[in-house]
Amino acid sequence: MANSSSDSAIRTAGLGMTYSPGLFQPTKVGLQNLDLEVPKGSIYGYLGQNGAGKTTTIKILTGLQFSTTGSAWIFGGDVRNSATRKSIGFMPENPYFYEYLSADETLDFYGKLSGMDRTSRKRRTDELLTEFGLNHARTINMRNYSKGMRQRLGLAQAMLHSPPLVILDEPMSGLDPMGRRDVRNAILKLRDNGQTVFFSSHILGDVEEICDRVCVLNQGKKVAEGPIASLLEHKIIEVKLAFTGVATEGNPVVVKLATRQWHDGVQYHVLVDSEEKAAQITDLLQKNGAVLRAMIPHKESLEEYFVRVTMADGGAGPEYASRTKA
Amino acid sequence: MITFVIALNTFREAVRDKILYVLVAFGILLILVSKAIGFVSFGQDFKIMADMGLTAIWMFSGMVSIFVGTGLIYKEIDKRSIYTILSKPTERWQFLLGKYFGLALTTLVNMAFLSTAFFLYMWLSGAPVTIAMCQALFLTFVEMLVITAVAIFFSSASTPILSAIFTTIIFFFGQLTKFIVDLATVLKGSVDSPEAKARADFVGGLLYKLYLVLPNLHNFNIRLDAVHADPGEWIHTREMLPVTVYGLAYAAAVLMLAHLVFARRNF
Repeated sequence: MANSSSDSAIRTAGLGMTYSPGLFQPTKVGLQNLDLEVPKGSIYGYLGQNGAGKTTTIKILTGLQFSTTGSAWIFGGDVRNSATRKSIGFMPENPYFYEYLSADETLDFYGKLSGMDRTSRKRRTDELLTEFGLNHARTINMRNYSKGMRQRLGLAQAMLHSPPLVILDEPMSGLDPMGRRDVRNAILKLRDNGQTVFFSSHILGDVEEICDRVCVLNQGKKVAEGPIASLLEHKIIEVKLAFTGVATEGNPVVVKLATRQWHDGVQYHVLVDSEEKAAQITDLLQKNGAVLRAMIPHKESLEEYFVRVTMADGGAGPEYASRTKA
Repeated sequence: MITFVIALNTFREAVRDKILYVLVAFGILLILVSKAIGFVSFGQDFKIMADMGLTAIWMFSGMVSIFVGTGLIYKEIDKRSIYTILSKPTERWQFLLGKYFGLALTTLVNMAFLSTAFFLYMWLSGAPVTIAMCQALFLTFVEMLVITAVAIFFSSASTPILSAIFTTIIFFFGQLTKFIVDLATVLKGSVDSPEAKARADFVGGLLYKLYLVLPNLHNFNIRLDAVHADPGEWIHTREMLPVTVYGLAYAAAVLMLAHLVFARRNF
């Protein structure tokens, strides 16, 4: 069944998935009635705790699993149709390749599966191995590759046939800061080329930095979705103050207004949850002879947003909830 | 095309795995040992050499089919290399068939190595190399096509250990199908009382069904006749084609069953 809304790179309607973990065990719900719309040419972050249903969605989109309810389309083509997958490049979490093949042979193999001709395979292999810094190791068998090298080759095989949609499952997982930077740059470059990137990640700082839109999933349900700029609250949610000259500890007004305060041996630090409270404390302490050394306002980050909406949905367990309160 | 790409890749992976060389080395060793055993059999040394050589090739080809085949699909799922393959515009039947042909090609090359070693050794020893031996090797290869299909079927649905056990059982009982059907007939005719007859009929019926389901691998075994044939003599000329067609049809049916299981799986 074709879908008329082919302005979207990905579209799902009422997507659901239930599992039977084993005989005599209750059925588990992996996804519930998921409606998604990923605009073409965007970088879309797919967020959720472990077991929230991110990988299940990705597996349905890539034809590895079959949804129990609903449908999914990629550029208007049903995901159950293998021809639809010509438009996808996919890197699974912790990708694994045939141990006895070299990077050259591996990419050649995936290029053939994607229907590329010999010249394009050779050209793209050269380009991508250079881009991901694997040129020196192109003839080495995969069994001798490190995790980071496999991850980079995984990205290369996903991008090999220049698909209009690249789906990445935890692409930053297990990478060092340099590796993460390379992946971020590669994703941004894809968007610059007009390609769409849909990726799941736990590293929310990276997501916030590069994504246009995000979807937050909790226990198989979509709990939030939209452009990052519209999801995050723009008001100041916390202000950090630093003083010298007068001890803030024991001051009854500070105790009443601050959410936290501490002394690092040089400066007195006070955290408050609004600009008004910050002004009140600053006025009071300056009258008492304190010198204001820093006032750092803090807006809500994606991580804080993620925790807030997940908690509001009741998704975080008691252990997680107590940790975040502390 | 995709089937061919996967088949070639499977073959390449298999030939780079040291386990294959170990099996081939053992096969060649057994062929060489055959002469030592031939020495102690008065006047029959060439026949013993031929018999042991053909049997060694059959046995080690069977081992390759079982032990490589049963892990073939499972390893792809377990290591998750299947994710990057099935997410390409690849149909699941193409993947399965590619794996099958890849292993069939591995078995063919393995048999070619062992057969070359066997014929060379026979020729160097002054023993006759006959057409019947080539016929026997051909049917052994058809038998391996059946066993490879069975191995792939179990591998697409179960773990390598269970798959290896099930495939080995079928490999073993497949040689005995002739006795199974004979046993069914004997059982039915061996009792007098109505109760015992009912039980015998039931068990006999089960055995007959087992006979129908199991591959009749006994059909592919013309090794003994090949050993005793004269050079230049063709044997079992009437049976060669039907037996080959039977083997290919059985393998195709098993592969279709494997596809039915594999096509519904979530990875």
